[in-house]
Amino acid sequence: MVKFCGSLLIAFSLTVFIGTPCHAQAKIDGYDSGKITIIFEPVFKDKPLMLHDQYYVDDNNDTLYIDAFRFYMTNFQFDCGHYQKEIHATRHLFDASDTATYTITFDPTPGWEYRELNFTAGVDSVINTSGANEGDLDPVKGMYWTWNSGYIMAKLEGRSAVCKTLHHEFEFHIGGYKSPYNTDRKVYNLPTSFLWEEKSDLSNIHFPQIQTHAVIIRIKTDVSAWFRGISLAKTNNIVIPGKEAAMMADNYAKMFSIVEIKRY
Amino acid sequence: MKVGYWKYSMFCCLVILIAIGSVSFDNKTDDIRFVIPKDWPKPVYNFSKNKLTQAGFELGRKLFYDPILSRDGTISCASCHAQWSGFTHGDHGLSHGIEGRKGKRNSLTLFNLAWNKSFMWDGGVNHLEVQPLAPITNNAEMGNTLEQVVKTLDTAKGYRARFYEAFGDSTITGQHVLKAIAQFLVMFESFNSRYDKYVRKEPGGEMTEKELSGLRLFRQNCESCHKEPLFTNYEFENIGLAPDDSLKDYGRMTITGDPGDSLKFRVPSLRNIMVSYPYMHDGRFNTLLQVMDHYTDGIIAGPTLANELKTPMILTLQDKQDIIVFLKTLTDKEFLIDSRLREVRE
Ligand code: HEC
Ligand code: HEC
Repeated sequence: MVKFCGSLLIAFSLTVFIGTPCHAQAKIDGYDSGKITIIFEPVFKDKPLMLHDQYYVDDNNDTLYIDAFRFYMTNFQFDCGHYQKEIHATRHLFDASDTATYTITFDPTPGWEYRELNFTAGVDSVINTSGANEGDLDPVKGMYWTWNSGYIMAKLEGRSAVCKTLHHEFEFHIGGYKSPYNTDRKVYNLPTSFLWEEKSDLSNIHFPQIQTHAVIIRIKTDVSAWFRGISLAKTNNIVIPGKEAAMMADNYAKMFSIVEIKRY
Repeated sequence: MKVGYWKYSMFCCLVILIAIGSVSFDNKTDDIRFVIPKDWPKPVYNFSKNKLTQAGFELGRKLFYDPILSRDGTISCASCHAQWSGFTHGDHGLSHGIEGRKGKRNSLTLFNLAWNKSFMWDGGVNHLEVQPLAPITNNAEMGNTLEQVVKTLDTAKGYRARFYEAFGDSTITGQHVLKAIAQFLVMFESFNSRYDKYVRKEPGGEMTEKELSGLRLFRQNCESCHKEPLFTNYEFENIGLAPDDSLKDYGRMTITGDPGDSLKFRVPSLRNIMVSYPYMHDGRFNTLLQVMDHYTDGIIAGPTLANELKTPMILTLQDKQDIIVFLKTLTDKEFLIDSRLREVRE
């Protein structure tokens, strides 16, 4: 018992210590200064994505509604030229119903050039076989299969009159980490191209407001990519690993495109 | 006078209680140690990512025995995994869960799990830590979600402090629930049967003529799949059991989607086999003699039938009885009554 109280005390003092605001993180237009912020903006073709009530029309001319849209992103890497790569351990779950999940921030290296962004849509086989994980990978998030272990890499659920299913629902739970039907997909070479300035170089008059810098990368995330080459009337329920899931993964890998890079 | 006496005895009780309390706290560190028995292969489980501690083990034990994990608070892990039967659903064919719903399969024994390459009869689960997710969420078992389990534990008495002790964090997470259960499960170690002592040439390891004859016959006929010392090679095989029309259980094929895996099930360990009846993935046999009769006379041929079983096994009744008496030497009483693994009522 004494030990327990002791640890509590330490924990308490640590909280006080860490919790003391030594310096508040400066914000520019709501974005963290000194950081790269990526914003994933969910859309369906040219319309912003709204869950439940907004209808959309896919390439097949079927009208549909989206009720849930979630997917994992892992292994973020910036290609910085000169054979330099910046690798981030970020494991992120995007959830269309929670705007807090739309943004991810990274700590940049002063002086480096950020040429290209690469990441994995989904979760690789190493993570899939590593037992109980934390944070966004915690199975409490409901993105884990229980009878056939592995992460659901991406989920898309909705309704369309063409689906001859209960309540006209379609359901895509895409996962599987074993080849040839693995469903994690590399998203390569999204061009970024900017220089992160030397922060320490305060004497440099070219950058008088050095502390206020932030870079925002907006990435359009187009849900309509899921429906390319499929007909909802026929393909409306994929909830196990296999060929169909792998085909869907090829589709969702094509959701992403950079629409803007802003510097402050 | 009377009041004084009561006060005095209450005081004594308190002192004793505190003494007991501190003893059990002080004794905490030592007896949770994972053992790799001599000449056994290296375990598969990665202990470096889930350091065994007394607090983690005890938390796992509390969770294992607590029906709070099920949706209606009626079923614990132990409901289907009882220690006396090698942690299977002893004496039950198909296990039943909440509201008396029947599952599809016979429960599995739980021991030496650190050596498993996969879990479940069909190998669908790839890691010990994610195994509890299956019963927690299965509607015929505990019918719950991990998210709900975390919420319930968060407000339940006594859990937050235990999570803090085990993981240095009183915020309960799904990961910590799963890691704690794994710390308990991994300590189900069975390596002290009479057979083990015989192999280690220890006292208590004496075997009779009949048992030794059974061991020889076992090594000739069964060893290829039920490989010593774990008594399984962890592979998937079709041993020619007639498929059950109502269950329509195709085993490994459900996971791989490969017709070549149809009717294959994971080779189960035969340790503690005497106490873990009934037998097979659907619990169809009640006695070991029925199992032996299956191997000699009951095999149904089919495209995925195991090679070893394509030519019928020839065993006399005497041979079968010898094998059975040998199998009895695999019962590990020390494990079956290990007090560390028992429920602690608070
Ligand atoms: C309703 C009965 C039931 C409950 C409750 C239950 N189990 Fe099981 N357990 C089973 C059955 C049946 C199997 C085999 C399932 C299969 O192969 O499909 C099994 C298999 C297992 C296995 C796999 C063993 C191996 O060798 O592959 C482990 C580990 C396990 N259970 C642990 C647990 C834990 C931990 C809990 C509590 C969170 C639990 N079980 C709750 C019935 C149950
Ligand atoms: C080709 C591999 C193979 C051989 C050879 C083999 N077994 Fe099995 N055994 C299995 C498999 C696989 C199962 C599980 C089958 C199922 O439930 O569908 C099993 C199940 C059993 C069971 C039931 C275990 C339980 O927990 O339900 C017993 C007992 C058993 N075998 C004994 C033997 C004996 C004794 C021999 C030798 C005479 C033998 N086996 C030979 C593969 C084999």
